[in-house]
Amino acid sequence: MKTVVITGATSGIGFATAEEMGARDWNVIGIGRLPEHCEKAKMEIKSFYPKTRIKYFVADLSEQSEVNRVADEVIAYIDAKCGGKIDLLVNNAGCVRDWYIATGDGYETQFAVNHLAAFLLTYRFLRKLQISPTGRVLTVSSGSHYNTSINWNDIMYQKHYNCLMAYKQSKLCNVLFTHEFNRRMTDSNVRAFAVDPGLVNTDIGLKGTGGIVAYLWALRKKHGLSPYQAASTIIYLSKMPAGFEPGSAYFKNCSSAKPSRQSMDESNGHRLWELSEKLCGIDYASGGIML
Amino acid sequence: MNNCALISGAAGGLGKAMALECAKRGYDLYITDISEVKLESISRGIKRQYNVDVYYKECELTDSSSVRLLWENIEKKGLFFNMLINVAGLDYEGEFMQVDTERLNHIVKVNIESVITMTHNAIKYRIPGERMTIINVSSLAAYYPMPFKAVYSASKRFLLNLSLALNQELRDQNIFVTALCPAGMPSNEEVIRSINSQGIAGRITTVNVSAIAHSCIDKALLGKKIYIPGFANVFLHFLSTLFPSSIQVSYIHRRWSWSKKNEAYKA
Repeated sequence: MKTVVITGATSGIGFATAEEMGARDWNVIGIGRLPEHCEKAKMEIKSFYPKTRIKYFVADLSEQSEVNRVADEVIAYIDAKCGGKIDLLVNNAGCVRDWYIATGDGYETQFAVNHLAAFLLTYRFLRKLQISPTGRVLTVSSGSHYNTSINWNDIMYQKHYNCLMAYKQSKLCNVLFTHEFNRRMTDSNVRAFAVDPGLVNTDIGLKGTGGIVAYLWALRKKHGLSPYQAASTIIYLSKMPAGFEPGSAYFKNCSSAKPSRQSMDESNGHRLWELSEKLCGIDYASGGIML
Repeated sequence: MNNCALISGAAGGLGKAMALECAKRGYDLYITDISEVKLESISRGIKRQYNVDVYYKECELTDSSSVRLLWENIEKKGLFFNMLINVAGLDYEGEFMQVDTERLNHIVKVNIESVITMTHNAIKYRIPGERMTIINVSSLAAYYPMPFKAVYSASKRFLLNLSLALNQELRDQNIFVTALCPAGMPSNEEVIRSINSQGIAGRITTVNVSAIAHSCIDKALLGKKIYIPGFANVFLHFLSTLFPSSIQVSYIHRRWSWSKKNEAYKA
């Protein structure tokens, strides 16, 4: 039996993915921010698929202490119940904030949740992913990663915070991370993919925002795909056999697509990786051990 | 000697932004707040981002023994400061008689007494011979007597007057004091929800805390006495000076009563 860990699994794309994977007989482990939402999501999936093995963990991924705590809990759980391996990690949790807020670690919230949490969680689960013959790390990025670059002078957007620019940058980070991961992990069987779900009818632009951002998002999302259609690319990638090496690691509508030129730039990828390791206090080279 | 900043209330929204801004400018930091866990987390994050030393100690600023321990710790570390930012402060809202006496007095202790103590001590530990910059976080509320926030707005008025007076008195000793007078700040999710609920008026008067921290330190280093962030706020403040305070206070009273009724209606 295969095991999937999904962050942000209580609503939107994360929830749809959890439901679809549950229907396909995977062990589903979801991570959500609010206990009541986790409970509700679990009940809902159980009501459709009573036999599903599904377990939710509660964590606020904007705090690195929480990421590390939940990683410990998940690892203990899969060691006890899922044969000690993870086949698929879906870094889906994301947020939009229309004001600058520093997390407890002093990082800008969108950068912390959308990129650093995924970076740190992947590191923590790396050994478990390596045990699987088809270990994969999927990070939900977005078409917003096009037409932007990393604001190296002020990556946390402290000086001129702009919600959209900070969001686009965090989604570019997802793709850069994916490419750099594959460059660095050539010795390992674990592969990373970035998933572009397209415009999806979810509430990401409504939580933690208001005014213009929320209004425009409410207008846009009406034309969006259902989260289940968006989840189909993730399901597709989960079914690929070992040794699957497509031309590009950027996936949209169940096929590989061309990511932005910025996201393929090796020096950008290298620089972001080094910075992220520093900001998370970890070293991938030492292989999934907490320092 | 290295630039070094002492910041109180450093685990809150504006405090974190101030600490990050100082670190970005190469200041070593000594930060304090009531929660040691939060201080540890923010100081770790700052050290990972910037090449500065960060020290922290939790302190209940209204408790004299806790304050003594803080200064003993600073003495032991051999630190001296050329920047002091008094961020720690308490807000409340409600009818005067609905809030208990202790709570009201506690606001006075945190917002007023702790700032006096902190400033007095920090000047003793200034870097000898160097310019010292002090920033006190007052509020736009300092300019108006505010019904339903009477103690808070009066305490912020105290800070405004204290800053202006000290700035004049101490400038010969190369110490400059700036009062920061912001409107509501989007520093946590609760405040953001209330800003968003005020619609366009909420949005135009609101400035990101990181931008406030950046500009405030710029202005303070230039020796500006008062800094009000946001064009809309400067303009509103200018408008309000055209009316006598009796009219201001009755307008504020009407507006707050209205919004309270509105809230009660919605609930």
